[in-house]
Amino acid sequence: MPTPVSVARQCLAEAAAVALDEAVNVAKKRCHAQTTSLHAVSALLSLPSSTLREACTRARSSAYSPRLQFRALELCVGAALDRVSVSKSGAAEEPPVSNSLMAAIKRAQANQRRHPETFHLYQQQLNSNLNSSFQNSISVVKVELKHFVMSILDDPIVGRVFGDAGFRTNEIKLAILNPIPMSSATSRYPPLFFGRLNDLEANKLGPNFPFHVAAAATERVDENSRRIGEILVNKNNRNPLLIGACANDVLRSFTDSLKRNEKTEFLPKEIEGLSVVSMEPEISEFVNEERIRLKLKQVSEVVENCRGSGILVNCGDLKAFVEFESVDVVNSVVSELKRLLINSGGKLWVIGFLANDDDYKKLLERFPSIEIDWDLHLLPITTSSSIGGKCFKSSLMGSFVPFGGFFSLPSELDTLRTSGTQSSSLCNFCNEKYEKELSVIQKGESTGSIADKHSVNPTSWLQIATSKRPNTAEVKDDKTVFDAKVMALKTKWSDICRRLHFSGTSQEDIFKAKSQSFTVSSASLGTLLNGSRTNLSPCTPSVLQKNFQSNQNIPIPQAELPVHGLDINDRCNSSISKGTMNLPIVCTSPPSVVSVTTDLGLGTIYASAEECRRKTNLQEQNISIRDSLESSGHHENASSRISQSSSGSHRFNKEMDMKDLEYPWKVLAEKVSWQTEAIQTIGRTILRCTNGNGSCHFSNKGNIWLSFLGPDKATKRKVAANIAEIVFGKQENLLCFDLSLQDSICPVNSIIGSSGLKFQDLKSGRKMIVDYIAEELSKHPNSVILLENIEKADFFVQSSLSQAVKTGKFQDSHGRDINVKNIVFVLASSVLNLGKSLPFGRVASEFNEEKILEAKNLQMQILIRYVHGNYSPESTANVSIIPSKTFSNQVNKRKLMNAESTRADISKRSSQLPRSIIDLNLPVEDTEEDSNMDTCDDDPEMWLKELLERVDENVEFRPFDFESLAKKILKEVDVGLRKVVNTKILLEIDREVMAQILAAAWLTDSKNALEDWIEIVLCLSVEEARLKCNVTSSDCVMQLVPCDGLVVEEQASGVCLPARIKVK
Amino acid sequence: MGQNLLEALNVRVVGSGDKILVLSHGFGTDQSAWNRILPFFIRDHRVVLYDLVCAGTVNPDFFDFRRYTTLDPYVDDLLNILDAIGVDRCTYVGHSVSAMIGILAAIRRPRLFAKLILIGASPRFLNDTDYHGGFEQGEIEKVFWAMEANYEAWVNGFAPLAVGADVPEAVREFSRTLFNMRPDITLFVSRTVFNSDFRGVLGLVRVPCSIIQTAKDVSVPASVAVYLKNHLGGRSTVHPLNVEGHLPHLSAPNLLAQVLRQVLPR
Repeated sequence: MPTPVSVARQCLAEAAAVALDEAVNVAKKRCHAQTTSLHAVSALLSLPSSTLREACTRARSSAYSPRLQFRALELCVGAALDRVSVSKSGAAEEPPVSNSLMAAIKRAQANQRRHPETFHLYQQQLNSNLNSSFQNSISVVKVELKHFVMSILDDPIVGRVFGDAGFRTNEIKLAILNPIPMSSATSRYPPLFFGRLNDLEANKLGPNFPFHVAAAATERVDENSRRIGEILVNKNNRNPLLIGACANDVLRSFTDSLKRNEKTEFLPKEIEGLSVVSMEPEISEFVNEERIRLKLKQVSEVVENCRGSGILVNCGDLKAFVEFESVDVVNSVVSELKRLLINSGGKLWVIGFLANDDDYKKLLERFPSIEIDWDLHLLPITTSSSIGGKCFKSSLMGSFVPFGGFFSLPSELDTLRTSGTQSSSLCNFCNEKYEKELSVIQKGESTGSIADKHSVNPTSWLQIATSKRPNTAEVKDDKTVFDAKVMALKTKWSDICRRLHFSGTSQEDIFKAKSQSFTVSSASLGTLLNGSRTNLSPCTPSVLQKNFQSNQNIPIPQAELPVHGLDINDRCNSSISKGTMNLPIVCTSPPSVVSVTTDLGLGTIYASAEECRRKTNLQEQNISIRDSLESSGHHENASSRISQSSSGSHRFNKEMDMKDLEYPWKVLAEKVSWQTEAIQTIGRTILRCTNGNGSCHFSNKGNIWLSFLGPDKATKRKVAANIAEIVFGKQENLLCFDLSLQDSICPVNSIIGSSGLKFQDLKSGRKMIVDYIAEELSKHPNSVILLENIEKADFFVQSSLSQAVKTGKFQDSHGRDINVKNIVFVLASSVLNLGKSLPFGRVASEFNEEKILEAKNLQMQILIRYVHGNYSPESTANVSIIPSKTFSNQVNKRKLMNAESTRADISKRSSQLPRSIIDLNLPVEDTEEDSNMDTCDDDPEMWLKELLERVDENVEFRPFDFESLAKKILKEVDVGLRKVVNTKILLEIDREVMAQILAAAWLTDSKNALEDWIEIVLCLSVEEARLKCNVTSSDCVMQLVPCDGLVVEEQASGVCLPARIKVK
Repeated sequence: MGQNLLEALNVRVVGSGDKILVLSHGFGTDQSAWNRILPFFIRDHRVVLYDLVCAGTVNPDFFDFRRYTTLDPYVDDLLNILDAIGVDRCTYVGHSVSAMIGILAAIRRPRLFAKLILIGASPRFLNDTDYHGGFEQGEIEKVFWAMEANYEAWVNGFAPLAVGADVPEAVREFSRTLFNMRPDITLFVSRTVFNSDFRGVLGLVRVPCSIIQTAKDVSVPASVAVYLKNHLGGRSTVHPLNVEGHLPHLSAPNLLAQVLRQVLPR
């Protein structure tokens, strides 16, 4: 809503108005829709005997010649004006004044009103205009040219233009304020040192500043006093009782101004001339009853003889009423005052204050009826009357805005910008390209400006400009164009990136092309190594794909021929890294050993660089494991086991008969034997829903909906990943969302958190969850989507899901539909069940799911405890679990672990947050509300019931039996120890470590990885410890305990456990 | 006043439902700050939005430097708005300075408010004996000088700091609204805010309150939330929010919306 020129002109003094007219002319000539600060600057510079030009001369930097710099300034202003879009409707007769320029005029008015030179003048005007409204009085202030220029210079657009030309608006402002030639002073300033300049300027303006405040304070009508005045004229509740920390100040200033008989403009007319009788000293003492009586008598006399509008009795601090011991005395005062108030006929008022609400409570306890008796009106006071008074003594500078904020301004904005535009979904290579093109666009953006070399950071000013004046259409346009360009660029590159590196279909093509060479090479490899375990048949791309992923598969047989094996392995490692770096090479490489290994790299290629590193690591570990194997002389045995473990989940593919669609499900059911029923149900459902020809195409119905109810979170994830593999060919076709958000108590470094699946990070962004899901679904049209904690879905997700299950379209928050024809929805929830309550395991179980979920991925160590005399272990077994060394009590430990995880979660973000915050909601009075909340939340809502009724199958999972797994593990450790270590050894495993091992075993995909770990890592470490400390079995016990706070550095293959155990 | 006030402060009522939710923005923002929260509530609430008189979206002429010296006139505005649109009971969500406005409003008209939800609220910003508000008096004065000297630089330094979390859009959004305010008004309002002291009046609140406190807030130390809970007269709870920053509705709207839904009276 631009302002008409005539209105703006009214606010300006003559010289300034001339400047404005000139600016309007400039805008008109250029056919611009509005007159902005830039036009004003252009006009100001062109005026004869220009103040601005003269100030610029004095403030200019001495580095350039004045002629050159002025030329630069003119060019910059011209270029900036060129960027302003031309009005479509043609120039108005007088282009109206833009908001930004009008704001500058308003600022100038405000400044001028407070300025020392003119302050008295305006004060007089103000007084003479007392009866007119405030707005009128402000329009009386005619802005002088000087102030007009000053406030225009405040406009960041203007500041930027001057900056481009090498001027600093701060210096120009100083030059305008200070008529003494400044050139010598200017050269002293260190060039472009932001903070220092601010400092200097602050000091310069400093002396003026207190004056501003004082001026503002006197000229202002005290709001608190006005409020008290309003209360006094009430019919009821007319006696103010001020409460608050500043109440004393406010009461004092109110009574003082009454006493001084100043112009009490804050008082309503009815009570003008109110006189004050202070009872403060009498009441504060209360000792001398007689004195109070006397005073009260005096008051009553005064009231009777009162001619003015009335008497206000100031009781001061009513705390005395609360604290004085003798209730009777106080009571008599209260009732006497009450009598007086009733009899006075509206001529008597009482006022008092209390510093805080506690005293008020006590007052009411003592005199329950005082509010009615005295006709009190409670007035909370939160602000002292004297702003800029004692509340603002200056001493230090600190936390509110550390000066850091000033120093780092441009660079900070810059980094924010890049992080904003950078697309994390791109791979490194594409991202680099994208960034390059982005920077080209950014540069292109500023090519309009001739003073390009001066513009340090074009986009950041663009941002500032838009953020400052969003309604200046021209700048906004620029920004939108820029944004659109960036968006287009982003889409382009993410498309390219997806096509090249992510896309399932294009990848499949590559696989097809490669399949021939792969079979050849693997066959030759097999013969070369004599022990061909890779019975690969040249079949469909999807199967091949699986083999590519199981990249551990190939090197393993080489173990039997150590020399060859190592050799090839070396080459593997190097070529894997080559392969991942450059995709095209893969396609052209000859069918040799190298090509095999590059293919292996291909399997990992869409993972991040980190992933590659991890995989390479695994290989290296393999070698080291094998080395250790050879040394320990368990060659044959272990190598076969390794091959088993590493082929792991993919092993079944070898024998997979494409006709037998049920086969993968059988294999999966074997793998997760504890959930056989669930797997069978899932398999049946999916086979039912697909049209049965073996390909991945769905029947007309399209998507498949499953719900996974009940416990066993890790297995659900595993199964979901396997569904992705079985249905779509690879596990990466799984999208995971945890809808619980803030309640997820997944502690840092937890094992469950470090499982391979990548969860979408929903927390940090501003996007709505439903939009995240929609985006992922549209990006990956052939996927399994796992939604954990479905019961916590917000109702956008709720309604979109409910709609999608009916119509096959998933709607995002903008109403766009995403086709989910080929999506398998898996809705997981651990709290829901199908009504019949399942046996939830043994409740008193030592290891329950919750606890396993909390297990941390910590480094382990072996300690040796010497026992004197004949130590008899509690159990007869050689391996036993001991209570965690830190907490002996089981229950206690649970609690602490809980608290710890929460704390860790919080302290991750804030180290200062006190621990007590956890307990904030504990007090008894809140339980009612909390429980109320809970029941509402856990209420199996209608939408969920409906949704679950519509899904293709509800699959129920049984609780995982950690107890027997623990027993099994102990047994295996015992067996392993016997095998590796010759002498009898007592090993105690810390409970925390046990939970860790259990969690890892629960999560791992491969059957034997844990056994291998026990044998290779654990038992060998025990042996090492034994040798190192020369332990004999009789007098010492070994303990396997966690290293507190030390996260696993190196992971064992196939299982989330440390690859090395520290030995002390 | 009535209609004029509604126009001047850009009052909007959106959504449908029986329950009324009032969203009141804080210092340096305007009602657009709630845009990301809003969709979560308009299906089952009538949501009242308005701008504080100091917001950049309000005509600066309405800001009477003589009137808005305390927070009470802001409370007048709020209550006038609610009366004008016929609200007789509502849930009030206030951020930063609006949280305090809500407290005062609830003291004056307890029946009007079913519940107060306070985000980033602080009864007193300055430190005192036995009270840690997070700021020393001198610091504040220096900040005011900095604002006076170079508003732009101050905004650019302050915005990322206040937002806290690394959410560039939120910083941009906050800078935008902060820039929209006229610098003298910003300065004046922050003086008013820093000058106010609610510690003596918290006990007068009878309305139940939910205090939402982020993990790290440059302007409100965590202890303040505890202080508020202990001193507010009504039944009050603290809900720690696991994100950083003073403006969770800009930086983590999803999360905040979920917590808000939890604490809304049923």
